[in-house]
Amino acid sequence: MTATLPDRPAIVHDRVATLAAATAVVRGNWGGAYTVPATGLYPHQWSWDSAFIAIGLRHLSPRRAQLELDSLLSSQWADGRLPQIVYDARRDDDYAPSAAFWGSADLPGSPPVPTTGLIQPPVHAWAVWLVHAHEPAESARRGFLERAYPRLVAWHRYLRERRAAQDGLAAVVHPWESGTDNSPLWDDALARVPGTPRAPIERPDLQHADASERPSNKEYGKYFWLAERYRDHGCSDADPDHPFVVNDPTTNALWARAELALADIAEALGRDGAAHRAEAARIVAAMEALWDADLEVYVALDRRTGELVRKATVGGLMALLLPADVLPPGRADALLRTAQGPRFLDVDGAAPQFMAPSYDATAPDLDPALYWRGPAWFNMMWLLLEGLRTHGLDARAEKYVDPMVEAAVREGFPEYVNPWTGDGHGTRSFSWTAALTVDLLSRTVFPEAPAGPEENERA
Amino acid sequence: MSTLSPNQEQTVTHPILVQEQHVPGRDVEEKFEVARSWGFDGLELRGQGDYALEKRLPELRRAHANGVVMPTVCVEMLHFVGAFDPDLAEDAVRQLTSQLTVMAELGGVGVMTPASYGMFSLRLPPFTPPRSPEDDQKQLVDAFGRLAEHAAEVGTHILLEPLNRYEDHMINSIAQGVALCREVDNPAFRLAPDTYHMNIEEADPARSLADAIEFIAHVQASDSNRLEPGAGHVDWALEMSTLRAAGYVGPIAVESRLSGPAEVVLPTVPPLLRRHLT
Repeated sequence: MTATLPDRPAIVHDRVATLAAATAVVRGNWGGAYTVPATGLYPHQWSWDSAFIAIGLRHLSPRRAQLELDSLLSSQWADGRLPQIVYDARRDDDYAPSAAFWGSADLPGSPPVPTTGLIQPPVHAWAVWLVHAHEPAESARRGFLERAYPRLVAWHRYLRERRAAQDGLAAVVHPWESGTDNSPLWDDALARVPGTPRAPIERPDLQHADASERPSNKEYGKYFWLAERYRDHGCSDADPDHPFVVNDPTTNALWARAELALADIAEALGRDGAAHRAEAARIVAAMEALWDADLEVYVALDRRTGELVRKATVGGLMALLLPADVLPPGRADALLRTAQGPRFLDVDGAAPQFMAPSYDATAPDLDPALYWRGPAWFNMMWLLLEGLRTHGLDARAEKYVDPMVEAAVREGFPEYVNPWTGDGHGTRSFSWTAALTVDLLSRTVFPEAPAGPEENERA
Repeated sequence: MSTLSPNQEQTVTHPILVQEQHVPGRDVEEKFEVARSWGFDGLELRGQGDYALEKRLPELRRAHANGVVMPTVCVEMLHFVGAFDPDLAEDAVRQLTSQLTVMAELGGVGVMTPASYGMFSLRLPPFTPPRSPEDDQKQLVDAFGRLAEHAAEVGTHILLEPLNRYEDHMINSIAQGVALCREVDNPAFRLAPDTYHMNIEEADPARSLADAIEFIAHVQASDSNRLEPGAGHVDWALEMSTLRAAGYVGPIAVESRLSGPAEVVLPTVPPLLRRHLT
């Protein structure tokens, strides 16, 4: 039997109380210039986390949301990269690999603050645009777009010039760069990565989450080995024998979406956005190399073997964030079929279903409680709902909001949940879970009145 | 003893008030009408010395009967309960006691006062006050303890406004106010943080509000430059949405100087605050 959503999901949570609880988490995780993803497990600034956090934070404080992104953009390297982690040097014993492991200060072009050399998916330009559009007057008063735009352009240039090969797609050189660390997409490529780093493997993460809900030590050995390799080659992206180079569908779809946002930003600044729209179209065209016509989903491509990794993950649906006229003919319908089919939003055994699993629900190796190998993540579900809305399925998207935020608040804003049972896993009081809850509720339950003329005059 | 609640007799949650001296009118009823036309929900009264508020009782009773919203009074004297001079301190207790009785009769949230104002600053010469911190504490616990007992008896609150370090040397931060609340240990003694002073004293004003929310019965709104909200750089969105999320339903009163004519600048304030409170 296949589960379907009821027409009117039971609302068992109090939306006002949920918004209050989510607000408290987002405010509580604020560290002075940015929001930590979680005070224990993730005590520094993470790149794509900050983007999702800012999307929620804009409803609580447009200024603080801008500051969140300003902080991240200020950690940009001279080559344009936005680092995966910006370290809080006061807490360098709380997370591994640490700032000392990377030693970014010794690398040319690194910023004044300690960071990793790796990156994360480029959702930032879109976040900047959403933060700006929520409160244009406050954005204009602070010169937010003027400051962000050249940095975002440089970031996308880094992806194009340093991470894209002839195929025109941005590659990740470490599973951490995908944001989906232990996704089944990386298994084959990781199989040829040695699990023997020189430095001892430290796992402070296991003080904050159960080992069964975290990547294994075997995986961590490979993660550390790859990080050492990348670091020891100066984070230069010029290592011809780096063993892990994979075109990630999530990274590339978000890159294309972010180019459209960059076009909006350029036009808001009185510039021509056409080049950014053309770039979005170019990325979408290049993504044809990742299209799996049988699975009807975008998959990964291992550049070292030239092989497609034919596994359906929720990230493979993210091209839904692009309007139909940017996608190849019929592609949106195909993606919507997959999204709403038995692999993701119509899975067997979940009634009513409230979130999509991170990995194909029909795959025999799915694990509903292990990180990116099956559990549902709030950022991915938020993106998927945006994708449904992009293609006119607003009512369909709206049906998920209440059950999704109900699970978030019931489980204490967990890092991820079992999409069948709703049980929370990983750390709790996780910032993007709370921030995206704020966003969903603020937009659908407490839509804000447009700014009055008095407030506009203040700008 | 009356049952106390931070939002006694309020018909709306977090009513937005303006202090009466900013509003034209021959009496509070006329001022209330003007304040309403500017978008405010009510007035914050000013309580001068020499029992001035008590002397206004006929006017205030009539206004209360006619539906004027005036849940708080802000003391307007030059001596306070923390005065070094024992006679002045005792007079301040007597004045506030009288004001508490008046506000209870009007069904108000309470009477607000700082510990002192303009008497001494640890940051300005001569740097060393004539009274020890222990004696400061003793005097405040005694004064607010007695005022809280009276407030509880008549059914209202005595509200302490922490002032910044240049205006008072005893209670500057919300945390110091909370500590005094715990020491006095009477639910009729509560805090009335002012966003202007917070912007000087608190590392993260929103966090301070949230952390102290159970002790907060009133809030005064003034921008970073002591002008009306919106004229400076306080993050109103964040502070108001924090109050909303923390379940605060008490009043918010604009106590500030003005950046322009009252009838021009004050009507911009209620939408700015209310937008993030509702």
